[in-house]
Amino acid sequence: MTRSVLLVEDDPRVRRSLRLALEDEGYAVVEASTGASALDMLRERGPDVVLLDLMLPDTDGFSVCRELRRESAVPVIMVTARTDSHDVVAGLEAGADDYVTKPLVAKELSARIRALLRRATAGPSAAPRDDLTLGDLRIDLGDAVVVRDGVELPLTRTEFKLLAELVLAEGRVCSREHLLDKVWGYGYFGDSRIVDVHVRRLRMKVEHDPASPCHLLTVRGLGYRLAG
Amino acid sequence: MRLGVRGRVTLLFGLLALALSLLLAVLSWSLVTHFLVAQRESSAAAETAVDAGLLQREIDARPVDVSGALDTVGSGASAAVLRYDDAWYATSLDPTPSDLPAALVERVEAGTASTQRIEIDGRPLLAVGMPLQPSGNAYFAVYDLTELNRTFRVLSASLAGAALLTVVCGLVLGRSASRRALRPLTELNDVASAVASGRLTARMDTGGDPDLAPLARSFNATVESLQRRVRADARFAGDVSHELRTPLTTMLNSVQVLQNRRARLPEEVREPLDLLAEDLERFRRMVVDLLEISRAEDESSATSEAVAIGELVERAADEAAKRPVTMVEPEAADVIMLADKRRLERVIANLVENAERHGGGCTGVTVRLGCDGSTVEIAVDDAGPGVPIDRRERIFERFNRGDEAEDSGVGLGLAIVARHVGQHHGRVAAEDSPVGGARFLVTFPVGRGRGR
Repeated sequence: MTRSVLLVEDDPRVRRSLRLALEDEGYAVVEASTGASALDMLRERGPDVVLLDLMLPDTDGFSVCRELRRESAVPVIMVTARTDSHDVVAGLEAGADDYVTKPLVAKELSARIRALLRRATAGPSAAPRDDLTLGDLRIDLGDAVVVRDGVELPLTRTEFKLLAELVLAEGRVCSREHLLDKVWGYGYFGDSRIVDVHVRRLRMKVEHDPASPCHLLTVRGLGYRLAG
Repeated sequence: MRLGVRGRVTLLFGLLALALSLLLAVLSWSLVTHFLVAQRESSAAAETAVDAGLLQREIDARPVDVSGALDTVGSGASAAVLRYDDAWYATSLDPTPSDLPAALVERVEAGTASTQRIEIDGRPLLAVGMPLQPSGNAYFAVYDLTELNRTFRVLSASLAGAALLTVVCGLVLGRSASRRALRPLTELNDVASAVASGRLTARMDTGGDPDLAPLARSFNATVESLQRRVRADARFAGDVSHELRTPLTTMLNSVQVLQNRRARLPEEVREPLDLLAEDLERFRRMVVDLLEISRAEDESSATSEAVAIGELVERAADEAAKRPVTMVEPEAADVIMLADKRRLERVIANLVENAERHGGGCTGVTVRLGCDGSTVEIAVDDAGPGVPIDRRERIFERFNRGDEAEDSGVGLGLAIVARHVGQHHGRVAAEDSPVGGARFLVTFPVGRGRGR
C-alpha cells in the first residue's frame, strides 16, 4: 500500500527535489507551499504523514501545527532550523510527533516516517490481551483507541504508542532511551525531550489533573512508569 | 635582574626604614653618650674637688704623713695620686703616676683643674687633676670608665636591634602596601588571562578604586568589542551555513535520485556522479559542523542530563568506528555525569573519526577513573605517526588540518571537540599513546553523583 506524505515547504526547489526523492522511496507526495494550502490538502487528501517546515511565508509553523492537530491525529514531522533550539520543544508542544533538521535527506526521512507509521508494539506476549484497563481508562490495543466512560479519547498515533508501551511494561519503569527506541525508533542518542513533551501531552489527555498525575508517573533520573 | 613593582616598593620601604632608623640611632647614641660622659666627668670633677680640699686640710694638719693623708681620700676612684713637693704618692700601682698624661700634669701644676680620658691596657679611664691651693701641689684621681663603656655597648646593641626591627617592619609594610596597591593589577591580570583563554564574558569590577576605574572601564570596553566581534563572526558563520542548508537539501535529494538510477546511467557519467555525491557529503558535513561550532557559543542551548559516561562513550565510539573499540574499566562503569548527550556523542564520534581518518585507524578507546577519583578520563588511541609537539595546541583550532591529504576532512572536528569538552568543564589534550601513535585524552570532572 502506498503511503502518502503531505510536504509543506515554501522553497519550490527543495519541495521538488524532496518530492522526487521521496517518490523514489515509495511514497505518494502531496505538496503545499503555505500553511493555508497545507490545511486544505490535509482535508482533501488525508495524507498518512505530514512533513512540516516551521518556516512558512504566510504563518508560523507552530500555529499550522496546532491547526493540523485540531483536525487530525495524523503524524507530523516538523523540520526545524537546528537541533538544540527551543523551537524543538515548542514544535513538539504544538503537536508534532517528531522532528528533523535541515539538510534533510529522503532516506533518513523515510526511516522516520516508517517508525512513526509502525503500529503500536504488540509483542507476542501481549497479543492475546488486546484490552487493558488503567483506572477508568480502557485501552484497546487492537483498534488503538483509549476509551473513558464510553468516550474515545483523541490520542494521536504516537501518543497511543507511548501509552501502550508503558502499559505493556506493567508498572515497571521505562527509561527514556527505551521509549525512544520502541515508539520513535531512535537509538541511544535520540533526543529525550521528545519523550518528555509527549508524556506532558499525554497527561493532558488522560489525567484528571495533569499537574499532579496519578497514572503517568515520572521516576526521577530513570524514566516513566504507569500506576493503575 | 630587574625588580618588579612590588619588589621595588618593598625595597624602597626597607631603605627608607633603614635610613630613618640609622638617623635616629646615631642621634640617640650621640645624645645619650654625650650626656652620660658629661655627667660622669662632672661628678668625678666634683668628687675630686672635695677630695682635694680634704687632702689639703689633712696635709695642713699633719704635714709629715703625706701618704697617710692620701689614704683618707679617693675612695670613689680606682687610684689617687698626689704630686707633693716634686714627689709622687699614689694609693695604687695600677695605674701608676707615670701613666698620667704629661700634658694633664703640666696643666694642673700650672694651677688649672683638668680632666682627660686615657686608656691603659685597653681599660678606659678618666683622669682628673686638681691643684692644691695654695701649696702648688697637685692631686689626681683616676676613675674607671669600664662600667660606662658597658652601658654604651648595651645601648649600641639595643639601638642596632631597634634599627634592624625597623628595617624588617619597613620591608613587611612595603610588601603589604605594594600588594594592596597592586591588587587591582592582579585582578586585571586574572581577568585578562581569563579572556585570553577564551572566556569572553569575564569583566573587571569598575566600582572599586576610583583611580583605576578608567582602566577597568576601557579594558571592559575592549573585551566587550572583542566579544561582539567574536559573536558576530560566529553568527555570520551560523547564518551562512544556515542559508546553505536550503540549496544543500535540493542538491542532496537530487543526487540521491540520480544515484538510485546509477545502473541505468551511461558509463561516462557514473564517475562524475560519484565525485559529486562524495563531495556533496563532505559539503554537508562542513555545513553541519560550521553550524555546530557557531552555535556552540550559545551556551543557553545546552541541555544537561545525568548520563552513564561509560555507556555513552561505548555506544558513540563503537558506532563511529563501526566495530567494538571501547574498553570501560570496571571502576568507571558506574560513573554518572551531567552532560549534554548529543554534544558528548559528537566529541567521542569526532575523536574516533579523526583517529580512523588521520591516525591510521582507532586502536582503542578507554574509559577510566582519574587517579584521585574526581575525574573520568577518556583516551582515544590511534596507530598513526602521532601529533608533533608544536601542533598539539593548534590542532584544536578551527580549520587546522593535520595534513593536506585528499580525504582530510574539513578541520572543524577537533575544534568542536575542544569547544564541547570546554562546555562540560573538561579538558582535551593530544599526547603520545603508550601503545604508539597519538592519544587524545579527554578529562571530565565528575565530582558527586558517582554510582547509581
